[in-house]
Amino acid sequence: MPEITKTRKAVIFCCENSSLAVNAVKDTRLLEGFEQKVLPCSGKLEVGLILKCLEREHPFILVLACPLDNCKYLKGNMRARKRVDLANNICEEIGIGGGRVRMDYVSSLDAHKVERILKEVREQIQGGLI
Amino acid sequence: MITAVQKPFEEIYQNIKGIEKLLVLGCGSCVTVCMAGGEKEVEILSSSIRLANRQNGLSMEVAEGTIERQCDREFFDSAKKMIDEADAVISMACGVGVQFLAEEFKGKVVFPALNTKFYGATDEQGVWSERCAGCGDCKLTDFGGICPVARCSKSLMNGPCGGSSEGMCEVDPETTPCGWQLIFDRMKELGQLEKLEKTHPPVDWSSGRDGGPGRIIREDVKL
Repeated sequence: MPEITKTRKAVIFCCENSSLAVNAVKDTRLLEGFEQKVLPCSGKLEVGLILKCLEREHPFILVLACPLDNCKYLKGNMRARKRVDLANNICEEIGIGGGRVRMDYVSSLDAHKVERILKEVREQIQGGLI
Repeated sequence: MITAVQKPFEEIYQNIKGIEKLLVLGCGSCVTVCMAGGEKEVEILSSSIRLANRQNGLSMEVAEGTIERQCDREFFDSAKKMIDEADAVISMACGVGVQFLAEEFKGKVVFPALNTKFYGATDEQGVWSERCAGCGDCKLTDFGGICPVARCSKSLMNGPCGGSSEGMCEVDPETTPCGWQLIFDRMKELGQLEKLEKTHPPVDWSSGRDGGPGRIIREDVKL
């Protein structure tokens, strides 16, 4: 399992709204080792894109979307959820192990929640749990 | 459209062991619409194979491409170079495309990635169901546009049978409506119930699959 390095960072895919929460994280050291990619909506995320990131040895993919029933595009977060589940199932099926892709629902005001998630992901990667 | 679903990854992966240069080729028609073998699915399968290879310490070059249709000769031109360079091709087309690709590129090993299912329609996103059985002798006029061959589990021409209960079929009472209930409801709606009093003769299956491999020759359009 590749570790977080300067060249191979964990990727955060987030929608425009959840990116506001990421940008509001106070302890910016928590964002070191993470590369943020903003999508217009989490529903734009594709399974192929997730797998391509893993192919390029990004150690972890974190997907942040609007809270359930509160997606700006109504069903984008539900579509993203299904794609994240499919990506993890494929990882399991091909033998590289699931759990490399995590999805959380955060609103634009949830910077504190993002901080907790980033800490958990870092511990997960550094602890070799994935 | 022709509908299909992807085979389990393990089955596909077993076939390509030992191959050095592989091409995953998608089809941009029916199987793109039913989300089984289009550009996106090619991308996913190719990445999956590359990741599995890395995990298993195998070196294999995996190229990917999608053409408009794999059941028309002309469209192979754009992929000819990629196909020629590959040791083997995984076709993500229906059974027609897989066979046509193998015929066009003699000596090239071709594997199917899909299980072809039926001629169907999109009920809603992610749900497809059968509408036509390709019997070669269309009788939709007599049944209000609902096919007893494809929609009745027993392909009865004079239904319903005793297995029809509350509008559902005994073969799968949870999800499959009785084809003959659908026909009855439709004919009632059209005010043509008297048409159902006619007894239909047995189907001549020789015009479909039972008559051997189908072939259509149109002298008026042949060059």
